[in-house]
Amino acid sequence: MKVLRFGRVAAVIAAGALALTACGGSNTGASAPGAGSNSGGSSRTESLSGTITAGGSSAQANAQAAWTAGFKAQAPGVTVNYDKSQGSGGGVTNFLAGTYDFAGSDAYLKPDQAAKAQEKCGPGGAVNLPVYTDGVAIIFNLKGVDKLQLSSDTLAKIFAQKIKSWDDAAIKADNPGVTLPSTAITTVTRSDGSGTTQNFSNYLHQVAPGVWTSPVSNKWPIAGSSAQQGGSGVVNTVKAGDGTIGYADHSSIGDVKAASIKAGSTYVAFSQDAVTKAIAAAVTPAKTTVAGDLSQDIDYTKLTSGDAYPIPLISYDILCTKFKDAKQAKLVTAYIGYIISDQGQKIAAKNAGSAPIPADLATKISATLKTIS
Amino acid sequence: MSGSGTLKIPATRNRLTTGQLPRFASLYTLGVAFVLAAAVMGLIGFNAFGLAAFTSVFYLILISALSTAIENRRKAMDRFVRGLVTVAFLLALAPLVSTLWTVFSKGIGIISPAFVFTSGGSPTINPNTLEIVSSPGALQAIVGTLEITGLATLFSVPIGLLTAIYLVEYAAPTFWLRRVVNFLVDVMTGIPSIVAGLFAFSLFSLLVGPKAFSGLSAAVALSVLMIPTVVRSSEEMLRLVPADLREASYALGVTKYVTIMRIVVPTAIAGLATGVTLAIARVIGETAPIFMAASFTDAFNGNPLNGPMQTLPVMAYTGYKFPGQDIALSNDQAWGAALLLVALVIVLNLIARIIAMIFAPKTGR
Amino acid sequence: MSESSRVGPRMSAATKARPADRIFRLLSTSAAVSIMVILAGVALFLIVRSLPAILANWQTTPELSTGPTGGFASFFSYVGPLAFGTVWASVIALLMATPVAVGIALFISHYSPRKLAGFLGYIVDLLAAVPSVVFGLWGILVMRPFLLPMQVWLNEYLGWIPLFSGKVTSTGSSILTGAVVLAVMVLPIITSISREIFLQTPKLHEEAALALGSTRWEMIRLTVFPYARSGVVSAILLGLGRALGETMAVAMIISPAILVSFKLTTEGENSQTIASNIALNFPIASGLQRDALIGTGLVLFVISLAVNMLARLILNAKPGGRKLWVRPRTEPRAKAIAIAAAEAGAETAIDTSQRSPAGRS
Repeated sequence: MKVLRFGRVAAVIAAGALALTACGGSNTGASAPGAGSNSGGSSRTESLSGTITAGGSSAQANAQAAWTAGFKAQAPGVTVNYDKSQGSGGGVTNFLAGTYDFAGSDAYLKPDQAAKAQEKCGPGGAVNLPVYTDGVAIIFNLKGVDKLQLSSDTLAKIFAQKIKSWDDAAIKADNPGVTLPSTAITTVTRSDGSGTTQNFSNYLHQVAPGVWTSPVSNKWPIAGSSAQQGGSGVVNTVKAGDGTIGYADHSSIGDVKAASIKAGSTYVAFSQDAVTKAIAAAVTPAKTTVAGDLSQDIDYTKLTSGDAYPIPLISYDILCTKFKDAKQAKLVTAYIGYIISDQGQKIAAKNAGSAPIPADLATKISATLKTIS
Repeated sequence: MSGSGTLKIPATRNRLTTGQLPRFASLYTLGVAFVLAAAVMGLIGFNAFGLAAFTSVFYLILISALSTAIENRRKAMDRFVRGLVTVAFLLALAPLVSTLWTVFSKGIGIISPAFVFTSGGSPTINPNTLEIVSSPGALQAIVGTLEITGLATLFSVPIGLLTAIYLVEYAAPTFWLRRVVNFLVDVMTGIPSIVAGLFAFSLFSLLVGPKAFSGLSAAVALSVLMIPTVVRSSEEMLRLVPADLREASYALGVTKYVTIMRIVVPTAIAGLATGVTLAIARVIGETAPIFMAASFTDAFNGNPLNGPMQTLPVMAYTGYKFPGQDIALSNDQAWGAALLLVALVIVLNLIARIIAMIFAPKTGR
Repeated sequence: MSESSRVGPRMSAATKARPADRIFRLLSTSAAVSIMVILAGVALFLIVRSLPAILANWQTTPELSTGPTGGFASFFSYVGPLAFGTVWASVIALLMATPVAVGIALFISHYSPRKLAGFLGYIVDLLAAVPSVVFGLWGILVMRPFLLPMQVWLNEYLGWIPLFSGKVTSTGSSILTGAVVLAVMVLPIITSISREIFLQTPKLHEEAALALGSTRWEMIRLTVFPYARSGVVSAILLGLGRALGETMAVAMIISPAILVSFKLTTEGENSQTIASNIALNFPIASGLQRDALIGTGLVLFVISLAVNMLARLILNAKPGGRKLWVRPRTEPRAKAIAIAAAEAGAETAIDTSQRSPAGRS
């Protein structure tokens, strides 16, 4: 935990320093350094005006709020309304209905949705841009235990409710030297459908197929846990209980303790850097027919290096390749360009706790953005 | 009073003058019950709720026994019920006071003129530290709540009240329309709020195209929820107006319309006002239909015809469910919004009562 | 249903000519008709949206076999447990709330000091206005920890009763906690309306009963209750409507699973309610899954319909249940009060054939 905090402080200082350079750069009309500079330059955004209506994934919500504020400073004439109450499904539904300029979603468009997007956006269809990355944190509250290490197998057993008490041999084996009480384990899960659940069950399915036999789903598939509404519900319940363990987006866990998860032979604690490394190592482009689409599949079994956090998650912004209104296209590409710019990712890391996207992904996104009109 | 013919005058002593418990007997009994309960608590471990529960049970047993012994069975029953009703009241008061206290104590911290009179949600960025500075403010939500609920009331009270008048005053009991409407109102009370929101959103999508989010559409959603409540409570209150009042009015040659407006409605006005207040209260705290129909925004929007609007319950809900990076601040804002909402309802309630007082005829009670 | 309204149509013949009257009549009729239109709109929307999901084959449609709707053979095996949970949670809540609510209403209308009554009524009205989100927050913050020891106790000592069996909750998110919060939420609704109706009991009846020597309770039993029965049932139905459709508080407090379970104190085996299930899964659901959720909304609609019809049946089945207060001041009624009071006061022989109607009419 302490290590983690220090890491954050360091990141903040680094971000501050970079921000100064970024600011200096923008005054002269040049753009911010880094991969995402292409369309985020403020000289072009200052003259923009209009409203962007968007919504969807609540995982991105805090980052979107930060990006909105940051973008506003560069383009005072633009209002961005990001509706976090809709959820990923609502975001995509409203996007496909034409209500949203872009949708935030924890999953890329499924084939039938992509087909619908072609009806809405023209033959070019819609692109999924992975603009937000974070990790799924395994949070716990157990009297007398401050640090917890878990292997993927143990984790799967706990959440499949095959391990019922904290002094189980499997947990002991992961935590040599730690005295574990015989408290019963209460697993805390999401009662609402969520991208976090999808990612986490997918992780368990991939890394512990022998233990985790339930389907991969955005709705928690096993009864018998304490199911709570929203990431905040999980975090609050874990915090209030004893012997509780749950999963939540790392950015939302506040001061609750998080376990280190075994990757390869070492136990890795969450850090923004470790998530960025994990994304860079584990993603493979998903099958797609749309040029410039950047939907990614995560192969969790690749994460064995010891410096990559084993349970990363990706959230997408989805937009048409061709807008009906060229002016709106300019607004949205400028905004997304800002999001993936160095400053955008730094702001999100600092104010929303997310991890910056890997540089090559940012380059690819800005290449895609250039094709959007 | 012809029924008294079947009575036989009792030959035994007159029970009306039998023994009576002393004036403060209930108080003494309560004291004894409390001591007993404290003793029980001492045995099984102290707990405030247990103390209250045991005190009530002991009191009810003691007072009934005492009264049966000294007075009579009927008086014992009366005392027992009086005790029971009082306990019910106190029992209900406990969670209710607890709720209000929780809202008040958690929400009061953030309430300030700045919170009430500025609209938050447009955070600015400090370019040097890249830190987001957001000032908490609820004006956008207050305005949204007032406009959306106001519009909903404007739609539903006339429709609801007129329907109730139709059901009570015009339609014959066996007339098909009356039966159908009666039935449909019952059905309508069962519309889940989220479905109402979806309905309104779909309706407006049809009418105004894809960018259908607006306060007006949220107001329509709330009306769907509000109308049946208004109809049901108004109907019940109108029915309670004694038929003789109407008959007297008709006998004087007053027309039906005037009778309804001058006699029936004013007689029932206190009940009607309560009903409408309850209906407003029912919908003012809705969240799901509002974010379905009016979406969500942190920005100020005073135009209910266009664009997303924020309301206090949505602010409270999102503050809790989707907290910002500063979780404590988000929760504070959520409680602040909840407190403002409750305060708003108190004001509305007062207004309704004053209206009722002005229009209500003097009655015996 | 009531005879007071029969006065209407008969009288209207005499006043047909007045234009203001006709306009007003037209207005109120069209208001009634507009309800039909609104409801038809909602129903049409529900049916049209949900039909594709209801008719689809849930096992072979990829969209329905994953995510929130995954793991169910058909729409009906999905909605069955949800429907059960909805009714179950509401019934527990109403069982707790109704007696207390009627008690409070009586306390305010007939027991509390007159000066206090207005204020107390005001407090209760206010509580109806506390939004469900706040009740949800309060439930999580206050009620969950408060009720937890009691549930552990119930499970430990009364676990042999199926209701309290199972693995006891450790976080408090059981259906019992949810039902208590639901009960608190519907309490003000039932209380406010019951109180208003209790207050409308004709003074003459009450005074007659008291004058004949009734105790306060006997007066209430003989005059207030029969008079208010239909209104109280209406009040309970309104409360039930709120309980059935309550979304946020239930979603925030109860830890749900889609299964049929009568257990009250577990957290892994609580039946989910329809409204809460929609709210929890609607945001993530897409396409057909959304249609399926709207279909469950249609079922909730039908449930509330069935409950309302059932209540009406019960109401009408009681001999004289609804008719009681229609002819309130006629001979038999006064006679009944006199008899009952006399019976109670004299405690001596009264013709037994007279006794049975005394309590009711």
